[in-house]
Amino acid sequence: MLQLSLNTVSLGSAYALVALGLVLVLNATNAVNFAHGALVMVGSYLAFAIAAVVPAKGIVILPLVLLSAAAFGLVLALIAYFPLRTKPVVAVFIATISAGTIFENLVLLTFGPEPRSTPPILGNRMLDLGNGVAIGEQSVAVICAAFVLIGGQYLLFAHTRFGRRLRAVAQDPDMAAACGINIKVMIAFTFMLAAALAGAAGMFLSATYYTSPTDGANYMMKAYLAVTIGGWGSIPGTVIGAFLVALFEVLIPAIPALIPGLDAVLPTATLFSMTSSTIALFLTFLAVLLLRPQGLFGEAIKKRA
Amino acid sequence: MRGAILVALASLLCASAAGAQTVQIPVIVPLTGPIALEGTSQRNGAVLAIEGAMPLKVDTTILDTAGAAEGGANAFERAAGGKGVVAAVAPMFGTQVLPMIPLADEYSIPLLTTAGTAAITEKGSKFVYRFFPSDMVTKRAQAKYVLEDLGKKKVAILYNATAYGQSGFDALTTYIKQGGGEVVYSDAIDLATKDMTPTFAKLKAANPDIVLIQMHTGSMALLLRQYRQAAVDIPVVANTMLTMPSTAALLEPAELKGVCAETSAWIGKGVSPDLDKFLDDYKAKYNAIPDFFALQQYDGVNMAIAAVKAGAKTPQDVQKYLASSEYKGAAMTYKSDGKGNMAHSAVIVCFDGTSRSPALVKRYDGKPATN
Amino acid sequence: MSVSHARTAVGILFVLALAAWPLVFSSPFDLRIFTLAGVFAVMVIGYQFIFGHVGALALSQATFFGLGAYATAICAVHLGFGFPATLTLSVLVAVSVALFIAIPVLRLGSHYFALATLGISQIVTLVALEWVSLTGGGNGLSGVPLPSIAGLVIPRGWPLMLLVWSFVAAGGFVAWQMMRGLYGKACHVVRDDEVAARSLGIDIHRIRLTMLLLSAAYGGVAGALFAHVNRIASPEALEFKTMVLCLTMAVVGGRTKVAGAIVGALLIVHLPEWFRFLDRSYVMVNAIILIGLLIVAPEGLVGLLDRVLPRAPGEGMGKTLARHRPAMSPPARGALLPSTTPILEVRNLVKRFGGVKAIDDVSFDLHRGTITAVIGPNGSGKTTLVNCITGVEVPDVGAITLGGSAITGGRPHDIARAGIARTFQNLRLVDDMSVLDNVAVARFEAEGAGPLNALKIGREDPRLLRAYAYALHLLHRLGVEEVHRLCGSLPYGVKRRVEIARALALDPQVLLLDEPAAGLNESEQNDLAARLQDLAANGVTLLIIEHNMPFLRTLATYMICLDQGRVIAEGRPREIYENPLVLDAYLGRGAGASSASSPVFAEAGV
Repeated sequence: MLQLSLNTVSLGSAYALVALGLVLVLNATNAVNFAHGALVMVGSYLAFAIAAVVPAKGIVILPLVLLSAAAFGLVLALIAYFPLRTKPVVAVFIATISAGTIFENLVLLTFGPEPRSTPPILGNRMLDLGNGVAIGEQSVAVICAAFVLIGGQYLLFAHTRFGRRLRAVAQDPDMAAACGINIKVMIAFTFMLAAALAGAAGMFLSATYYTSPTDGANYMMKAYLAVTIGGWGSIPGTVIGAFLVALFEVLIPAIPALIPGLDAVLPTATLFSMTSSTIALFLTFLAVLLLRPQGLFGEAIKKRA
Repeated sequence: MRGAILVALASLLCASAAGAQTVQIPVIVPLTGPIALEGTSQRNGAVLAIEGAMPLKVDTTILDTAGAAEGGANAFERAAGGKGVVAAVAPMFGTQVLPMIPLADEYSIPLLTTAGTAAITEKGSKFVYRFFPSDMVTKRAQAKYVLEDLGKKKVAILYNATAYGQSGFDALTTYIKQGGGEVVYSDAIDLATKDMTPTFAKLKAANPDIVLIQMHTGSMALLLRQYRQAAVDIPVVANTMLTMPSTAALLEPAELKGVCAETSAWIGKGVSPDLDKFLDDYKAKYNAIPDFFALQQYDGVNMAIAAVKAGAKTPQDVQKYLASSEYKGAAMTYKSDGKGNMAHSAVIVCFDGTSRSPALVKRYDGKPATN
Repeated sequence: MSVSHARTAVGILFVLALAAWPLVFSSPFDLRIFTLAGVFAVMVIGYQFIFGHVGALALSQATFFGLGAYATAICAVHLGFGFPATLTLSVLVAVSVALFIAIPVLRLGSHYFALATLGISQIVTLVALEWVSLTGGGNGLSGVPLPSIAGLVIPRGWPLMLLVWSFVAAGGFVAWQMMRGLYGKACHVVRDDEVAARSLGIDIHRIRLTMLLLSAAYGGVAGALFAHVNRIASPEALEFKTMVLCLTMAVVGGRTKVAGAIVGALLIVHLPEWFRFLDRSYVMVNAIILIGLLIVAPEGLVGLLDRVLPRAPGEGMGKTLARHRPAMSPPARGALLPSTTPILEVRNLVKRFGGVKAIDDVSFDLHRGTITAVIGPNGSGKTTLVNCITGVEVPDVGAITLGGSAITGGRPHDIARAGIARTFQNLRLVDDMSVLDNVAVARFEAEGAGPLNALKIGREDPRLLRAYAYALHLLHRLGVEEVHRLCGSLPYGVKRRVEIARALALDPQVLLLDEPAAGLNESEQNDLAARLQDLAANGVTLLIIEHNMPFLRTLATYMICLDQGRVIAEGRPREIYENPLVLDAYLGRGAGASSASSPVFAEAGV
């Protein structure tokens, strides 16, 4: 049970990083950035490429990954967002999906179709916690790093002038513009910040779980779910949403093992298979929407497509 | 635009092959999308065979099928109109091959594929040739090895929730039951699943003697690594994907210790001059270690080339050759069982924990026309 | 005139090019791709109903498509049914699943709707993948025969292509027919502004349901055809990437025009084939071209045509309208009845938001043909009052009766149909519709426009023509002349009058005006006041929410003053102006005694 909870928290932290990037752009632009999953994948491959040149621990190359992923974020904003800023939201939707396809195939052509692994943040040893419970160094490092990055982002938004400006753009772009804030610069920066978070998440995830060029879509779906369950645009809601998604992936399918004797009462093999758990995740998600159409934490911003 | 290019290509071909017979073998495989890895290996093997056909000159066009079901059929219809097509390489993705079969019948062009999916040779077509031991051969070998050689009866099966995984799972279940074993636990794992610890928890509770795996590259590497981390010590016999160099590259040799896998043939130096030549040529051309998809497709295309060298002029001639002849390839000897299953051998290989290359443990040579 | 001819020419060229396409590109491969494009065109024409016409981002079209494919495959492979039967079953399956989906999902807001439909699609995909005995699992169900009608097999190539494209033609015609009349205009309002649509008596849930079911039906047909063309039904058809393909076709081609669906499908299906020679890079080139197309034509390629060759205002409507000019002005409903009993009664209304009482025990009557004003400082509950009466909010306590029947807690469109029309403080007109359309659409309910009777439209929709005639009359009465202009381009003051005309087109007994004078200059205000008085004289009962005292001074016959949700004074305007409580509420406690003179009050403009 403890083991599974640790794994849930570890996976949830990485998902939270992914989802946060999505929600940042969402708040700043009103648009769902469907290339965000691809940015996670790009982050993994950037880490892989950098590690090939700089053979060092993950913690050393992390800043380089953050910076280079941010550059991809800027590229994304320039090709798929700014030209369509005043256009219908679905145009941005399709453009970001296309941009994701471009990233995916760029990686495929550069690195080939093989799945890759990136260096762990500190190491890959298992830390024995006694009682048969063990946790990987990487998992601990991921949880810490995710909390540092999420906390850093919170500080940036809550306690710096720059962060307040970003928030102003998110809340009311017109008003922000009237106050002399350069919205375009702020949005570009948001894209870069989101891409950097995605890149970090990509690096963390691929060290533990590998990445191949087509993995973006899967991360995108999970992040989209997390954001919607938590409440469109709400940052704490998104973090909770991400942990909920991880919960369904790790803890729910393990229920028969956790509660011995359950298989005598229920057809556990089908009820708690991996597929059933995914179905249960979507059903829960639909139930949340029905009971709380504003998501668990309510909507941060109204009227979005 | 495309028309113009075809015309240009065609005239170029005519000029170069003035008078000589033009033979074309289009290569229709997934090069983008989620199964690009397998498709790329397949292409590499096919291209190597085509380029090595000297003195015979074989043309090819390489067509990507991506991940869509209609991709194979679209590409086939496009290629079938080409000049001198005598056979076509078909994807190792069964879902894409199935819609190609009625077209292959219509155009009378034999398909050379490495798809393992049982269904493709059960449609009664004369034009499907599978140069890879089907699930019937490999899964039977895997089950036999587990039941007879290892003497394990309580079996758990983990497989991916894909066509490949399901097809292997069905075959494994059948053969394990036939051989007197029992499947005590099974779980379908989505390709997107990242954390497999819940499966291990349930697996341990079911207390099997052995774990059989039928999964794709990335998913399997992930499973094995977490399997080690979760300190589960039940032995594992995996499917052939484990023997792909790109799978082994994701794992430390120690993580592979004691793990076995079924595959079509052991790929290493010193077995036969043909295999050595293939290994050398492949390394020289792609600077990579080949996998079984490349090897089997190489043999498949070579058999079609052998047909042309033996005097086949039309795709029908090639089909007759494929249906009736025996061909000794780099991996094994191929002969149709009457349904288009060409490969009847499988091997079990095991990793010793010191290297990423497995050692040959057991060989199962089947005969064609068994069931 | 030249523009209109150019548009016709482009249309004819388009049809000719479409017909010539398979003649020019006639290899079996080209025919196959063209056939597939036709299949996708049917799916996209269907998708336009829900996504284009009512603007709901449904991510379930691939599910309907895939279900259609599976239904056909299962019935044809396992049961050996012929094409007419499998097609019918495919449509039925898709529509029933849509109906099932609609129950929980249709009421959700935009992005939740998108993700909920996506979630359901994921569930269907997983089920299809796992239910191996029925669906063939990941491999799909292969061996789907060619379509056979009454024992006659339709062979591949030209016959199959013609079969598919005859569905495109039929489906396109039905879609065009359904959306070109008054019903289509109503959908446009639903897409643009749900609140406005409700206030016009349009049942938006019903329209969205109809659109979703139509989408599903087309999706089912396309899926059935897909299974026959591709000879297999596989989980790929259900997947999100098929949905993205459909969405891309709709966005790149155009969201509401049938031609857009066809152009989008043709382009997106052919694009990768044209660049196939680029080896693996073609996927990237494809994506780059897509982004380029979006930048050049964000409203779709067919929308680009509207930009290059804009439709002339009121094109082709002059003659038909002239024929349908109403012989006499339609009488207002209220005028026919004597006016001894109150038309609208509000009794003990309470509305709480959290712990705050926005409306606290408010009661009043409106008498026929009177002009009543509700005044009060900001936050006094005026707009909440309007929202409670019109059904936007449900009051916690109290009763509202209109002409003797209770309407408390009714749905907005029912209340609008019952005879209460409203305007909005911050104008809710559809900017990209003409003035005439904006007003005519309010006749939706009165004319009984619906999807089925839209199918019977001949050359012109008689309902739309009658609505136009009605609208023209009202616009004329309110002094709006440029009826063919797009609403978005009108000056503010004119928009106000258009909105009032639209509300009047509902033929209401009671008209609620939420700050009608806001943003108008003095002469516009006077003009509006005169027109409102004229309406009241014709029997319409007016309730005006207003800040602007000079505007009300001569207009209102009765006044109700709200403060903190309570009625603090009511009576004739003169009494109200002199009421110390009112002055207190407006100018602060204690100010009443010192500045009781009404000129100051009036000039304060509160």
